[in-house]
Amino acid sequence: MIEFTQDGPFAEKVDHLFPDRVRIIGLGQTGAAVCDQLVLHGRPGQDLWVFDSDQLTIEGSIVPNRHLLGSKLVRGLGCNGDLDLAREIVVQEENQLAHVVRGCDFLVLVLGFAGATGVALAERLIELTRETGAKIIVVGVQPFGFEGWTRREKAIAAIAALRQEADSVLVLSHDRLAEHPVTVKNIRHGFHLMHGLMAKTAQALGQVVCKRGLIQLSFADVRSLYARYTGSEVLENCWVAHVEGDMRDCAEDLVAELLEGPLLADEKIWKQIDHAIVAVSGTRHLGLSDVQEMVSILKDRLPANVPIATSASLDEDNHDKVRMSVLLAMTAPVLAGEGELPSVSAKKNRPIAETGPMPAKGEIEPPITQPSPLPAKPVRPAKVKPAPVPVEAYAVAEEPEALTLEAEPINQASIKTSTRTKKRFVAKQEEMQFESATRGRFEKTHETMYRGENLDQPTYRRRGLKIKV
Amino acid sequence: MFWGKSRNIIVALEVGSTKVAAAVGEIRPDGTLALLGIGESASGQIRKCEIVDFEVAQGCVRDAMDAAEQKTDMQIAEVYLAISGAHVRSSNTRVTTLIGNDGDEITHEHLQELQDMATAQSLPTDHAIVHHLLQYYVLDDGTKTDNPVGLASKQLTAHFHQVYGMATRLQTTIRCVKELSIDVKNYALSSYATAQAVLTRNQKQIGAVVINLGGGISDYIAYQKGAVVHTGVLGVGGDHLTNDIVYGLKIPYAKAEALKKTEGSVILHPGESDERITLPGAYNFEERQIHRASLNTIMQARQAEIFEIILEDLQSAPFWEDFSGTVHITGGASQVKGLVELASQIFPCPVELAHQSPFDGDQNYGRRPDLSTVLGLLQYARQAEMELPSARGFARVGQSLRKALASMKLI
Repeated sequence: MIEFTQDGPFAEKVDHLFPDRVRIIGLGQTGAAVCDQLVLHGRPGQDLWVFDSDQLTIEGSIVPNRHLLGSKLVRGLGCNGDLDLAREIVVQEENQLAHVVRGCDFLVLVLGFAGATGVALAERLIELTRETGAKIIVVGVQPFGFEGWTRREKAIAAIAALRQEADSVLVLSHDRLAEHPVTVKNIRHGFHLMHGLMAKTAQALGQVVCKRGLIQLSFADVRSLYARYTGSEVLENCWVAHVEGDMRDCAEDLVAELLEGPLLADEKIWKQIDHAIVAVSGTRHLGLSDVQEMVSILKDRLPANVPIATSASLDEDNHDKVRMSVLLAMTAPVLAGEGELPSVSAKKNRPIAETGPMPAKGEIEPPITQPSPLPAKPVRPAKVKPAPVPVEAYAVAEEPEALTLEAEPINQASIKTSTRTKKRFVAKQEEMQFESATRGRFEKTHETMYRGENLDQPTYRRRGLKIKV
Repeated sequence: MFWGKSRNIIVALEVGSTKVAAAVGEIRPDGTLALLGIGESASGQIRKCEIVDFEVAQGCVRDAMDAAEQKTDMQIAEVYLAISGAHVRSSNTRVTTLIGNDGDEITHEHLQELQDMATAQSLPTDHAIVHHLLQYYVLDDGTKTDNPVGLASKQLTAHFHQVYGMATRLQTTIRCVKELSIDVKNYALSSYATAQAVLTRNQKQIGAVVINLGGGISDYIAYQKGAVVHTGVLGVGGDHLTNDIVYGLKIPYAKAEALKKTEGSVILHPGESDERITLPGAYNFEERQIHRASLNTIMQARQAEIFEIILEDLQSAPFWEDFSGTVHITGGASQVKGLVELASQIFPCPVELAHQSPFDGDQNYGRRPDLSTVLGLLQYARQAEMELPSARGFARVGQSLRKALASMKLI
């Protein structure tokens, strides 16, 4: 006979309603700056920690939990991009790091991919976290193109390494802000802008994975968009925008402001994105109909083939404000020759002058509108002729329901992408036949998770297999 | 219980994701089992062996029971129930008791004491025990035995394989049956029941893994030296293959299910890359052609993943190092083409489709792998009934009263 425990079935505890704990850890100079932004915006309930080997960064941070590492080795002077030195520091500070990963369900690591301390710490923290069973989301930013190939190559290596280990890696790119008026006028403000966006990203992730609300998403939704890929790698895979407005503001205005976000200004991204997560939060006056209206307007403005997953929560600390964040993602591998990890040989063929280390905070005031010896946008390696692709891989869909260029519903975003060639469009449709992260028949059941993967999602999708319809 | 009838009738009920099946059998005086009939109904709102919509699921159970009653001309009042679901967990545990400093003789009381100690072990919160399956006993000199009664030892250790699941979900399934005025006499883990149908005593002794590929879940059980050494339930089954086809090929679920059964294969053949399958049109579905390679790629990816996860779990268990047995595959989803070939590529041991043990009755049932659980449960019920001391007179009243009191805890 079954013996039921008396404290079990119906003794639901309050904790069960908010079971997940998110800890945001800023690593290195960038991570500290992002966490500072979170403190400045007064987000309560965030468990923030900051680690760096640079004493100036740590002393300048306003996060209460901040720790200087490796003072015996580098005496608070930082690692200056020396990854081996950073790893030595991490080994030395093992004990201090071990207790950071305990007592949380989700760890959001925020860092700059070109920094040594941040990357070395992230690698070790991921290892330690794996032992505790918590999930790891890495939010990082690539350096500006003009910072030089060395830093860019370090960032590429770091992204590749972290993608192997972390559950999700969100990669933003500083270059999206290279032509933004704020950056052009003062590059420090450009960095500040990016740090703010990363802070909002971390905050939105916290809401999505943790906060129970009107509409609930889960970590699986984040992971399905930003997990590692099995096929060709992509670098930048995340574009974010955030808007905050009064509850009485028109939803249309809020969405319009959201889509004017600095990272979304580049028209090229509309060709690349294929999924979106929207996180809406407001006070108890925020109703489901408000959320639906906002998402509906946003859906009209985004390209027609981009599914939107929505999370909505109530937050009394919002003070009659409604906050809306959108995380855009590129999950499909990019086409041959575009966005792939550049090889070392590609770098050798490229006549790029090496630059020195990152300038100090005080040295980066001058505007960059003057001609520079470096290329203005050395973001990508020299374009290599795309490798021939089998015709069947780009076969035009024969089914009547397959979208064609003419059949695509017109909306603002799709007008912006009108420069696409027809051939590329068809190929993109072939790869992006995905719909939202719905689980179909298993929608009402408990998710079957295995090693961070949602097994209710089709396997061929998770493994990036191409299916000809 | 069958009032007014002296025949020893047993009923096994499986509430699965694809169908609900109730098998009615009779234990003959010589102890053999005869299958009288099986009532079936399609499942509704049952996913991964868990009930999503209670009323709809209860209707399905009622239909299956009605069908069984009509086929066998019996009135069913109690059943043995198959339990499964992705929430079911298992672990190996051991308990030790002192026999005496002088190496006293081990008695049945000592074995009962060990059983009680195992039952008293704490489980994760909100979980309830399903099985305590005895593996073996160990004497103080390290000798392993299946029956230590009469032997002398200072202490005795019993190794158990315990299976437990979330109490609320177990409750839901049991309540679904009990509210139809049908008592749940006992229950068994689905994979354990399946093994009773497809494994012989010899196979259990040599070592065997039974993988039951169901519609909503895939459960598996491993035997070595006659004892259960590992069990597992993966919340992925044949429905997932269909669901993947729906999304991959953009066709309705019913079409995808039919396509999976008639054309699908989990093995990719190089020559079929250009081959196409025509899906006939219907009043709301235009005729379409789909690539056979696409269909098989989708199915192969999912089925291979299921096997890989199961293998990984088996490899993590200590028994696997010494395992030299065979993997037996059964269940409704095992009827897909190329399954054994695929499984043979993944499992580093012989793989074969399971065959059910012979029984008296309609032999067509024995050839259906989707009925192996309910038929195995019938075997389990037979064994349980044979071991039960027959109650008479006041003892019988007491047994019923105990049953009623126990049932109150479940409602």
